[in-house]
Formats: sequence, C-alpha cells, structure tokens
Amino acid sequence: MTLLFARSHQWLTSSPLKTFSRILTLLLLITLPGNIVIADTYKEKLDLQPLSGQFLLASFNFQSHGPIEAFNKQMFQLFPRSLGQILQYTHTRELHLRFALGRWDSELWGAQPGDGQNAGGTGVETWAWVEADNDVEAEARWTSLNNALSGLFCASLNFIDSTRTIRPVMSFNPTGDYPTTNTSRLFLLHGSLPKEPVCTENLTPFLKLLPCKGKSGISTLLDGHKLFDASFQSMSIDVRPICSPHTGTCDIEIQQTIDMVLDISRSLQRKDSPVPRPRDQHELICDTSKPYASNEYCYPMDNSIDLPWSLSDLFGRTISGGCPFAIDIPAEETQHVCIRAPENKLKTMETLELAASAPTDGQPDQKCYMLRENVPFDLSFPKQQPPISPLRQEPLLYAERSFTGHGQEHGGVKTVLRNPNPNDPIEVVYLESLPWFMKPYLHTFKAQVLPVLSGGEDVISELYYRPALDRKRGTQLEAKLVVPPNSVVILTYDFEKAVLRYTEYPPDANRGFDVASAIITIPPQKRRSDGEKIPATSIRTTSLLLSLPTPDFSMPYNVIIFTSTIMALAFGSIFNLLVRRFVAVDEVQRVDLKGKIRGLLGKLKKGKTE
Amino acid sequence: MALRVPVNLRKNLSVVLYAFQGLSFLAVIVGLASLLLLPLDEYSRRTYISENALLPGQVHAYFGGSEQNIVRAFRREVDLLGNSTSDVVAERMAEIFRSAGLKVGKQRYSYKAAGGEYTGENVYAVLHAPRGDATEAIVLCAPWRNIDHLLNEGGVALTLALSRYFKRWSLWSKDIIFLISSDARAGPQAWVDAYHDLHGKNIQSLSVKSGAIQGVVVVDYPGAYHRFESLHIIYDGINGQLPNLDLINTAVQISRDQMGLRTDLQEMWNHDDGYRHRLRTMLRGMVNQALGHSTGPHSSFIPYHIDAITLATHGDGGWHDEGSLGRTVESVFRSLNNLLEHFHQSFFFYLLMAPKRFVSIGTYLPAAMLLAVGLTLTAIRLWVDPRSRSGEEKKEEEKSEKVKEGGVVAVDGGPKRELFLPMSIVIGVHFCGVIPFAVFNSVDYKSMSSVFYIFIAASVILPTLISILITLTASPHRLLPAFHLSRCFSLLFLGMFLSTLATLNFSLSFLIGLFSLPLTFARTTPDSVPLALVNSILLQLTSPFAALFVVAGYWGLGVEDILKEASFGWWVWGMWTPVVVWCVWWPAWVVGRVSVDSSIVMAVMGKRGS
Repeated sequence: MTLLFARSHQWLTSSPLKTFSRILTLLLLITLPGNIVIADTYKEKLDLQPLSGQFLLASFNFQSHGPIEAFNKQMFQLFPRSLGQILQYTHTRELHLRFALGRWDSELWGAQPGDGQNAGGTGVETWAWVEADNDVEAEARWTSLNNALSGLFCASLNFIDSTRTIRPVMSFNPTGDYPTTNTSRLFLLHGSLPKEPVCTENLTPFLKLLPCKGKSGISTLLDGHKLFDASFQSMSIDVRPICSPHTGTCDIEIQQTIDMVLDISRSLQRKDSPVPRPRDQHELICDTSKPYASNEYCYPMDNSIDLPWSLSDLFGRTISGGCPFAIDIPAEETQHVCIRAPENKLKTMETLELAASAPTDGQPDQKCYMLRENVPFDLSFPKQQPPISPLRQEPLLYAERSFTGHGQEHGGVKTVLRNPNPNDPIEVVYLESLPWFMKPYLHTFKAQVLPVLSGGEDVISELYYRPALDRKRGTQLEAKLVVPPNSVVILTYDFEKAVLRYTEYPPDANRGFDVASAIITIPPQKRRSDGEKIPATSIRTTSLLLSLPTPDFSMPYNVIIFTSTIMALAFGSIFNLLVRRFVAVDEVQRVDLKGKIRGLLGKLKKGKTE
Repeated sequence: MALRVPVNLRKNLSVVLYAFQGLSFLAVIVGLASLLLLPLDEYSRRTYISENALLPGQVHAYFGGSEQNIVRAFRREVDLLGNSTSDVVAERMAEIFRSAGLKVGKQRYSYKAAGGEYTGENVYAVLHAPRGDATEAIVLCAPWRNIDHLLNEGGVALTLALSRYFKRWSLWSKDIIFLISSDARAGPQAWVDAYHDLHGKNIQSLSVKSGAIQGVVVVDYPGAYHRFESLHIIYDGINGQLPNLDLINTAVQISRDQMGLRTDLQEMWNHDDGYRHRLRTMLRGMVNQALGHSTGPHSSFIPYHIDAITLATHGDGGWHDEGSLGRTVESVFRSLNNLLEHFHQSFFFYLLMAPKRFVSIGTYLPAAMLLAVGLTLTAIRLWVDPRSRSGEEKKEEEKSEKVKEGGVVAVDGGPKRELFLPMSIVIGVHFCGVIPFAVFNSVDYKSMSSVFYIFIAASVILPTLISILITLTASPHRLLPAFHLSRCFSLLFLGMFLSTLATLNFSLSFLIGLFSLPLTFARTTPDSVPLALVNSILLQLTSPFAALFVVAGYWGLGVEDILKEASFGWWVWGMWTPVVVWCVWWPAWVVGRVSVDSSIVMAVMGKRGS
C-alpha cells in the first residue's frame, strides 16, 4: 500500500489540486482494506540493435510476475484479467501464442533475438499445455481455449480445429515448473494458421494486456503503422508458472515480446513523403570517380553511408516516459532501453535529454538507459561515412524450405539445413505439420548430406510420423537428426495432392493453400570441441504456397443454367402433353360470334337473377 | 422397320460411300473457311480485363526523372562489359545488385544439343517483399543478349535501375526476382528448371529462392540508341502454350492507354486493324504456335504454368525512352502485385489478331477439328468400302439360314477384312518414325544437312520399297484390300491424334491437317497409273520435308538451321514438335505414299488383285 500511495502521490504532485489529492489518497487509504499490496512485479525493456543492410532490430519485452495463489483466487493485479480467466476456465497451465509477419533474414541479420524462442511461423502459431483427465477432455479444452483467444486477439484462432492440431513429441518441452501437477495430466497441443494476416487488430488487444496499455513506457513506440511496415515482426505471449527452488513458492509469469526489424531507409523516407518518388537530381549520391560521371549520368553510391536516424524518426514519436509500474520496483537502476552496436558507433550517439544511463554489466558494445516518468526519451545516431558494419551473431543453423516439381498431381518438398560451424555437429529436431490434402510418401523421405560423409551413416536418428486422416487430421512428421559440421543436410520427400470437394475450397482457391512453417528445434546441448553450452533454440522456415487442382468455379453455374434450361424445356412440353386434352377438329363445338354474345348475355342474366 | 435401312444401304453402298466422301470434303472446306472468317468483327471479340484485381493503369507510375540518370550510368556499365565472358558479367551484375541490398544468386549452366555446347551464367537478385512471407514472387527478366544475339543494353540497365527503385516501395506483396539471363534461349530455361528443382546434371542449383512465381515480364531493349517507337509484345510459349490473356491485356492497356505507347503483336508494325492485317497477325501467331519454339526468354516459363511476356522495343525514331518503358514495367508490376490469386480468370487458349482483338478456343477450335473430322470420315469410308474386304464370300446357304434362325439379317455379312497385314504396315511405319527423330536429335550440326538429304532420299524410296515388298509377298486378291485398310487405319489414327492435339496446340494440329489433306484423296488406283503419278507428286509436295523447306524459307534460314533448332528445342526446352512431325505426321505420309505407289507397282508387276 505504501507503494501505491507513493506512486499516486508522485503522480499528483504536479497537479494544482495538490491538497485535494492528498485528501483523496487519505480517504482511499482509509477505505481500502489494509492487507492489499501490489505483489506483482513488472519489467519492460527495449533492446535496439542495428543490423547489416540498414536495418534496425527493436525487441520489446514486457514481463510480469505474480503469486500463483492470487491468480488461482482470481485476484488479478498486473496479470490481465481477460487472459487469466480464459486460462483458468480452460485449465491451461502454460500458453504460448505467436503472431508473425515477414521473414527473418538470417543470412543478413544473423541469429534471431532470444534464440528464436519468441518467434513463430508466419501467421499465428499457438501451443499450450492443458491439464485434463484424458485426451478427449484436453481436446475440448484446447478448442474452447482457441475460441476464447480468437475473440480476445481478433484472430481466426477458432479455425484451429483437429486438422490443424498436432501433438509434438520431441520438439517442445514445458518451460514452466510443475512441482505439484502430475505431468501425465498435461497435454501438449499445437496449432498454426499460416494464412492469418497479422495486423493492427491483433496489436490493440496485445497492448491492452500491458499494465500501461501503450500509454506510457516503451510501448508508446508501438504504433500499428510503423510496426506493420517492418520487414519482420513477431509478437509473442507466453504464460507459465515459475517456482523458486529455495522458497518453494510459485509465480505465474506472463511475458509479452515484440521483435521488429525496421528498414531504416524506408522508414526515414516515409517521413518525407509516403510515395517514394525519384529523388531530386541534387539529392542523388553519385560516384564521381566514374569516367562518365556528369549531370546526366549517375552511378549510385548511397550504400556507402550509414543513414542518420533517431527513435522519433523511425517510430514517429518519442517514448513518452517510463511506465510507472516498471520504474520503482527495484532499488537499483533498471535498464529500460538498451542499444547494442560497435563501440565507436555508440560514441557518436546522442540522447534527447535527462536520460539517465543505466549500468551495462561491463559490456563495451552496449549502452543502457533508464526512463523516468513523464520525461520523454529519444535516441539519435548521426550519419556515418564510411559505414560501420554492425554486430552479427552467426546463427547455429540455416534452414530453407521450398517446393520442387510442378503440376497438379504431385510435388516435392526440399529442406536445406546448413550447419555453419566448422568443428561441431549439431543435433536438430525437425517438425513438419502438413494439411491433410498434402499427402507425403514416407518412403521418399530422404536425408542427403553434402559433402558426403565418409562413414555413410544415417543422419536421422529418430522419426515420429503420424499419418493424416482425410478431413480429420493432418500429417505430423518429426525427425531427430544430426547436421555434421560445415555441411548441409537436404531433406526431401514427395507428396500427392488431394482433390478437394467443391465446397472445401476457400473463396480465393486459385491463390493456393498455405502450408505452415517447419519448426526446427535445437535442444540444449554442449559443443563437443569447447564444451560451450548451446541454449535451446528454435528456427522457423518460411511457409509455402501449395497449389491444388482447382475446378473452374464458373462451370457449376454453367451446368446449373444448362440443366435448368433443359429441365424447363422438358417440363414444359411434358406438362403440356399431360394437361392438354387432344380432340379432333370436328369434335370441337363451333362457336360463332352470335353464340358468343348469346353466352355472355346468358351469364349476365344468371348473375342478375342471383 | 429399323433393320431395313442397313439392308437397303448394303444393296446400295455407293450412296453411303459418296455421302462420306462429300461429308469429308465439306468438313475440310468448312474448316478452312471458318478460319478465314475469324478476323471478322462478328466472330472475334474485343479483349477485356477479366481479373478485377489487376486494375491495370489505375496507379500513377513515378519512374523517371533522376532515375533516368541512373539508368544511363548503368547503360555505360553494361556497355563496358559488352564482350566480356559470362562469368565476368555475372560477377559485375551481382556486385551492383548486392550494393542495392538484394539477395544475389548465380547459376552456371551447360546444355549440349546438335553437337554444340551452350553455356552461360545467369545472375539474379531477390527483393524480399517488405512484409511478405516468401510464398509468391514475380520476375523481371532481362537477357544479357536478346534472341537476336544483340546486347540488351537498355533492358539490363533498366532492370538494374528498377531493382533499386522497387526496393524503396513498401507496398510489394510478392517478392520480386530480377533475373539477368546469360542469353535468351537456354539461360531462362536453366533458371526456371532449377527453380523447380527439375534441372539436369550440368545445371547448377539455385542458392537463393523465393515462392511460387506468379508472373514474368521480360524487357528486351537492345542497342545504344535510347529512343523507340513502339512496344512489341511477344507471348508465344514452348509447345504453343500461351500466357493468360489477362497478362497481355494488362500490358496492352497500360502501354497504350496509360503511357501512350503503341503496341505491336507478331511483328506487324503498321497494324490498321483491317481484315488483312488481322488475318496476317493471326496466321503469324499460328506459325509460331505450331513450331512450338521459344520466341524469347518468357517462353521457357510458360510450361511451368507461369504467365510470361516479353516487352521488346521497336524502331528508333520515336519519342519514347527508358523512362516510358520503366513506367510501363512499373505499372505492370503494380498490377501483378495486386493479384490475389494465380492468373486463372481469362483465356489460356486464344488467337490474337490485333492488340485488342482475339478469338477464344470455342470459336476457332472447329476449324482444326473439322480437318481432323475430314480425315476420320475418309477412314470410315475406307472401312465401309467393300474393296477393303478380302475374305472369301460366304455361301448363300449359310446366309439364308441365319436369316431364318434369328429373323435378322447380319449387317456385317459378306467377306471378312484381313487386318493383320495392314495393321502391321501402319504400326511398323509408326515405329520407324522413331528413327528420324532419334537421328536428327543426335547428329552434329555440321553433318545435319547431309544426313537430311540422305533421309529425304530414303523416305522417297521407302514407300515404293514397302509396296514392292508387299506386292511380291502377299497373295494378289489380298493386295488391294491391304492397301485400302492400311490407309484407313493410318487416317483414323491421324484424325484421332489431330483432334486431340487441336485442344492442346491448335495451330500445329491445323497446319498438319492442312498438309495432310492430299492423304484424303490420294488413293490406290491400280487402273490409272497417271493419276497415281500425279497423286504421288502431290504427296511429295506436301510431305514433312516440303514443310521443313517452307518453314526454312519463311525464316530465311537453311534447313539444317531449322533441324538444329528442333534438336536444341528437344534437348533444352522439351519441345514436342519434332515428336509430332516424325512419329505421327511422317508415318501417316509414308502410309499414304505406300498406297499411292502400290498402284504403280501393281500396274508394273501386273498384279491387279481381286
């Protein structure tokens, strides 16, 4: 309570209604029961890292902890109530939700931030450990979880049905602690929607889960226009229980992250004009050393400088000040904004004002800042010529997947896994979740190693395969394999394309069907040569577009029209034949004009008498 | 009652025979006439955009201004490399692409055909769609040397400049691949094969890939002179396959209506949209389609169901420059970028007769079908003809018994047809077709013409030899029926094949049908040697060799060049035209000649048959 008081006090000191506010807080103090203390802790951090090719990686991390007892009693403090109730209702013990757009270019940018643990495949991906008595109950809870999340995040998560759900065996392990729960009652379910376009409607609910809801703190930078203009962006939500081994008390942790890679030149240009018209001639940066260089000829040289940028240029606004919940908790200074760049580049950096620097744990290539409440923060880098090549961490593995072959009947998939390490092999789990209409031939599943191994041993050590059932479930293929040092493993398999029913095609049938990214998990292991520990890492390939044999959808209408015409003609003539009475000409009573008039008169008379 | 008709017809068979002959003649005449009617306004249609998503010309194209300075500089760079080897070129192009911040790949290839070796190195760059997920791609291609072996200075420079220009836009929904192929014929084929992992041994795999290719635009802008008059749209693919009409319509509409650029088709430079020009455009298109060869780098993409066109500049007196061509390409790419689905709306089977006028398959197909029907009707006539029967006449008693037993007269009474000899002639000759096919695809270019003349001599003598051999071995009363029936089977097969081919490659089917017309009336005439001689000469004039000479004359090349092209087409592009010519048309022609020559042979040897 003291904390709360202090904070409200601080908020209101600048206000003219100082005395009134004091009375109000006092009143609050009196009316509230004395034992409420904000036990939840909240941290937020923004990591910036320039990447090669004029890109900037911005990783936002929001994390809050709270005692699990309070959570179980539905006493939510910083943990979002909307999400908490869903998790309780569906008995979800651990939830991982990923929204991703674009692709991570590991050739250029190196390893993914956070060892790829926060990134998902293109679209939406989710997996959870659901507590249940049996498989059927778990499935039911998983469905209701997805339906609820679908509403919460404005995403089509409700389309994750049995055909898109898999139960990975080797790829995922629970990251939370379960000292009391019987782990055999925990069911892991995984679903993905590669076609889901991630956009602003998913960002808004994401921000609403934060304590400061995007109004203050680093989350003020998260503007939909900027975020979704990024070359790569990934939003993640992880909820898990964490227990302290010393005290035995458990916390529930929610971690929200956003990783985005901004194209600096494109973002800067957006500021000047939204349409990238050709520049003015004097703005061109030309190579004057070329023999033909003149006013008419310009060999472009604009790759030879590091463009100047600042946070407000790239994000369109400054950080409006620290989020109050993330400021006061620890006594020591917290890192709110950190930037990693080569040392000599950091020297040129400037901050807006009053930004207190935070300790950097002795890393020379890093600078950190602490945010203060209501004090805006900005960072700026000047132009640099010649450019300084940014820091890059070599990824553990490069993965690439593509379709082979063409045609409507068969196809193939080729995945290339490359281990750049010159000395050590790496153990990898490859998980593929395929839709049911893409039917792989398991006998064609092969791993080829380049350069060819001398022993000729098989790189695949374990294989888990769950075949598809038409319209019920998809194929799940998991393979544990070892990629030898400095070599490439090429996984290939052929598949057959199924013909769908007329109504099973989506409205844009000719676009093709998205096949979810393959998930490559590198389990924690030790390097053989130097004994260095490799943390658990995951990598996603890009998703694929599978074209299926598609009917000409106008054809059924043609057929309907055609058959209707024939039906009408046939019906017309048969009806005519049945209803009409055929009589010979001479049998018909001759009616002349006189007779007609007489008949009419007769009718009239009848009418009168009645 | 119904049975009386065949009995009557049997008595009066000549009526049926004449009717068939008349019908066959009528089919051919109507078929030819219907083709000539197509260019009329009543039979052709104006083109229209069928796919609403394309919105051609709805966006403003900005390319120009200072971008043209860059194009000019790149022109100079290309000019400097003019005669360098392809690996030097590839390296320099890769450097330029890399400096624009694109992913670059290179690919060496080598093909062997007609004793020659075709090697080169393609270079390409992938522009990742800013928020894309690598599922779809569009290709902008510029061959280093165009189909006439001219240095494609403008095209390559424009592609390099556009790669930089396109990168600044954030609106791309599909990856853009910039391909600079080493030449216009083998290079694109090697690249597209490798893109689908269907390449041969001497072709390198691609190191960088993207998603499914949705469309290809090739820029052919050779020469050092900047200005051009009009845009030539080339669209014929390998084996006469065509790109979706929507793509051509988009290009035509953008260049004509948005950019004010005249468009030409099929090298018809001064099209007045009159009947004669329309007919000529259509016929020129049909010749290209029938030959099934590559007319530009775009041709290699079409068999992969990738819609592709070449935009070639024409003339050097106009007022258009790289700016207008760049804007046209930009606008076409904006339209392609709008595509939500693969091209599927408009026509894949059409004949264009003016940039804005076409006929669709429903209208033109009857022409080729009627020619095939003419052949089939002749075959049926030969089957019904009593002269094709050679078995001994059944005894009158048996016949009458049959009538008594069933009360039905067997329609197919009378002597039986001997099928073995004619069948074996037809099948044997068709198998022989593999010989010229294999020979011409394996012979060196140097010895091509001598082999060809030897082959002409051989196939002039072959039919005569066959007929002498048969006349010597077979019994006299079986001779005439055997020749009749072999012609019947051969025509039946040809008719069947041509009608099937007409749905795939209308023009090839139509032209072979046209050349095969003499086969319908050149028959065995043992009574009239002069007629047989005339027929024989006529057949000689409409032989596949004569057609080869016609084609060679049309292009102004030697016959050996055409054969070399065919061999190259078979080995590199997978062109089926040689198969059709040597394994279908040539055997049919040989059988035709056998039946004509047999009349002379029989007359000389005094065997008149029955």
